[in-house]
Amino acid sequence: MMKAAPTLSSAFLEAAGSKLPAPLQALREQRGKALADMPLPTRKTENWKYSSRYLKLTDELAASLPAGRNCGPGLAVDGYHIVIHNGVLVPEASDFPDVDGIEIRSFVDLDDETAQQLADRLDNTLDNNAVQMARLNTARFEDGLYIRLRQDAVLDRPLFVIFEADAEAAGSVYPRIYVDAGANSQMTLVEEYISTGDQTALVDAVTEFSLADGANVTNVRLSLEGENIHHIGATGARLLGHARLDSHCVGFGGPLRRHDLQVRLEAPGANCRLNGVAVTQDKQHFDNHTTVEHVAPHCDSEETYRNIAADESHAIFNGRIHIHKDAQKSNANMSNKNLLLSTGAEIDTKPELEIYADDVKCAHGATVGQLDETALFYLVSRGIDRREANTLLSMAFINELIEQIPVEAVRETVQARLNRFIEQAFEGA
Amino acid sequence: MANTDKQVNELIKREYEHGFVTEIEAETFEPGLNEDIIGRLSAIKKEPQFMLDWRLKAYRRWLEMDEPNWAHVGYPKIDYNAISYYSAPKRKEDMPQSLDDVDPELLKTYEKLGIPLHEREKLAGVAVDAVFDSVSVATTFKEPLAKAGVIFCSISEAIQDYPELVQKYLGSVVPAGDNFFAGLNSAVFSDGTFVYVPKGVRCPMELSTYFRINAANTGQFERTLIIADEGSYVSYLEGCTAPMRDENQLHAAVVELVALDDAQIKYSTVQNWYPGDENGKGGIFNFVTKRGACIGKNSKISWTQVETGSAVTWKYPSCVLRGENSVGEFYSVALTNNYQQADTGTKMVHLGKNTSSTIISKGISAGRSSNAYRGLVKFGPGAEGARNFTQCDSLLIGDQCAAHTFPYIESKNKGAIVEHEATTSKVSDEQMFLCRQRGIDPEQAVSMIVNGFCKEVFKELPMEFAVEAGKLLEVSLEGSVG
Repeated sequence: MMKAAPTLSSAFLEAAGSKLPAPLQALREQRGKALADMPLPTRKTENWKYSSRYLKLTDELAASLPAGRNCGPGLAVDGYHIVIHNGVLVPEASDFPDVDGIEIRSFVDLDDETAQQLADRLDNTLDNNAVQMARLNTARFEDGLYIRLRQDAVLDRPLFVIFEADAEAAGSVYPRIYVDAGANSQMTLVEEYISTGDQTALVDAVTEFSLADGANVTNVRLSLEGENIHHIGATGARLLGHARLDSHCVGFGGPLRRHDLQVRLEAPGANCRLNGVAVTQDKQHFDNHTTVEHVAPHCDSEETYRNIAADESHAIFNGRIHIHKDAQKSNANMSNKNLLLSTGAEIDTKPELEIYADDVKCAHGATVGQLDETALFYLVSRGIDRREANTLLSMAFINELIEQIPVEAVRETVQARLNRFIEQAFEGA
Repeated sequence: MANTDKQVNELIKREYEHGFVTEIEAETFEPGLNEDIIGRLSAIKKEPQFMLDWRLKAYRRWLEMDEPNWAHVGYPKIDYNAISYYSAPKRKEDMPQSLDDVDPELLKTYEKLGIPLHEREKLAGVAVDAVFDSVSVATTFKEPLAKAGVIFCSISEAIQDYPELVQKYLGSVVPAGDNFFAGLNSAVFSDGTFVYVPKGVRCPMELSTYFRINAANTGQFERTLIIADEGSYVSYLEGCTAPMRDENQLHAAVVELVALDDAQIKYSTVQNWYPGDENGKGGIFNFVTKRGACIGKNSKISWTQVETGSAVTWKYPSCVLRGENSVGEFYSVALTNNYQQADTGTKMVHLGKNTSSTIISKGISAGRSSNAYRGLVKFGPGAEGARNFTQCDSLLIGDQCAAHTFPYIESKNKGAIVEHEATTSKVSDEQMFLCRQRGIDPEQAVSMIVNGFCKEVFKELPMEFAVEAGKLLEVSLEGSVG
């Protein structure tokens, strides 16, 4: 007999903190009410098919992690940086840019009028039916970053936003960013998710981008949290004419890692490049879901995701390209390659095309396999030992994408982590 | 370009030529489904107790199941109690002993359909089992087949004559609880085809079944079971048509294939059920479960399908590759026009070592139709050295249609390799220009381009079918270009 679908525990609906301006407070309450009895995704929920069993929203995770000030070791940054500790901005640890036309403010500091404008726009880049968990963020966020770039404004150096989850006790945290990029503005935003402490915690993060005509935004998203952190993230972007989004998502596995990336190309000439890398080991899990909506004609999208799964881990990719009815002359490409390093591990991939216009060029490809035996042989026959050869080839598999990240400090951080990962993966091999 | 579009549009319009109704006396159950109906059905067929038990078990299970809604199709809710679950052409008490005993009206129908049913058409060399509405009406070439030791008969006969084979294999590949429509079929299937090819026998001719839904308000639920014993080979063809009616009719068949060590089964389908009229009215709901199990080592199952009919298609011929070195193949052309909807594809489940599979799927959508490929390639932990290659291409004709691809790939074995590719394109202006410039009229040009697009699949079809398929495609495309 069918069991009733589990619903979200009411413990999650009690938002803490009331420092937000009234319009945002009202939005949060309204979303909270709408979530009552929200059915949780199950194995039968298509977009949580492979991940629902890792999603454990127990009551002990419901409480917000307390805002503290004891920041962990900072990461190498090369640019402006903002530290958000357990969802709350830490001004003294941050280095805000002082550039004409660029305004970065925390939600709690907004005046009512701006807060109202923001409240009207929050969530409008995401398809809330598809990203159920983003709704929980809107019902719970306690602060956030509102980044506004006026027309032609250019941020000269990358902006690092470091989200630190300090899990001294069990609980959850709801980071939030909204980027409003004016016409022809430019910026690079690096989001780094890190953690300290060793209690179980949930990070439910949402980042949204609204790009006006000709805006050019690079977004790097690093998921580097510890083994005790369950991470559910969503990124939404809407692009107007000739706007460009360059997205690089790099993630290391955990008990649950989930990222939904949704991009809408809404006016001719809008284009995006989406790169993603996920690596998992031990019993880790990583699930990337992407959607590219070609709403307008003459838009381009290029997507490349690579996964490596070792030991008994589980990596998932689900990419969807949706060409709307009048989006003629669309160009969409998607490639997903996966490396399965052990038979205990599992890779699931689903590159989808949904096409309602005829004059389009769409292609996707996906592969799952192990390292090429002939390439290994080539290296081994030239005196490189097998383990070294494995490491080299695995690194090369991922590096193609890492090298495209335009921020050197990030490349270095990631490469160091990847080296460690691959060394461990081939230990004893 | 507008010009080309118009020409192509005109091409797609042509009516369904198998849309006639045959006036023959039929014995039909009143609509409705309950245990009593199943009991009566089983009694009419003089089935042994084990079959009745099996049907009732399937029915009880089915009552608890939900109709699937994940497919990319939309159709009005089906009232399963408004369907008649048995309709048989009335005839003498005994099964026809030869074609002379078959109702001449029926034979005319088949003649209209162009099936080589009559023995005088021996040249075609195809042994036919024709299923008319719910029952099998005639099986040809029984003798030469019997000489080779091949059993080719209706499944009702098989239940009587070879109960041990039926009991062993029926439901072994598609269990009654597999899915909603398979469950319904298990409870109410009225007839179908049974094939058993003994050890080491290469079936001397192509076997074939022709399905036709004739009576109104009936559903067709046939069941096909093909068993290829060690080292045997059989090639099986299946064709289908139905009259034009304004109401939708349900067709929920189950096909099970079993290949033992070194056996090979080739299963080809040309599906041309009535697709509804150009406004999307009427047509067959084709909700079919087809699955083959490569149980034995080095066995091979190959599915080839050309789908041009049905209002709504929901069909995934699959292979479970259990035996070492077993091979699964799926070649498909699915064409949709007007308001047709198709959600079709395959599943390749690799369980054994060094198993391999190939999937070539060509989807063509025209008019306002929607055509989806949905596939699963799965490697279990034991599928060391397994390989899959998948290619699914879509061709769009006209800007009102839709083409989708939903491939699922799941791998649990590091030694398994899967490659998947998909592309979507349209009949390009350049291609049309090249043909027109050489004096080929637009209708022919589109048909040439489409045929070229499908060539990889057509070459897998047995000869007679390849010709039919090419022609069918031309017909189905008529008036679609736009």
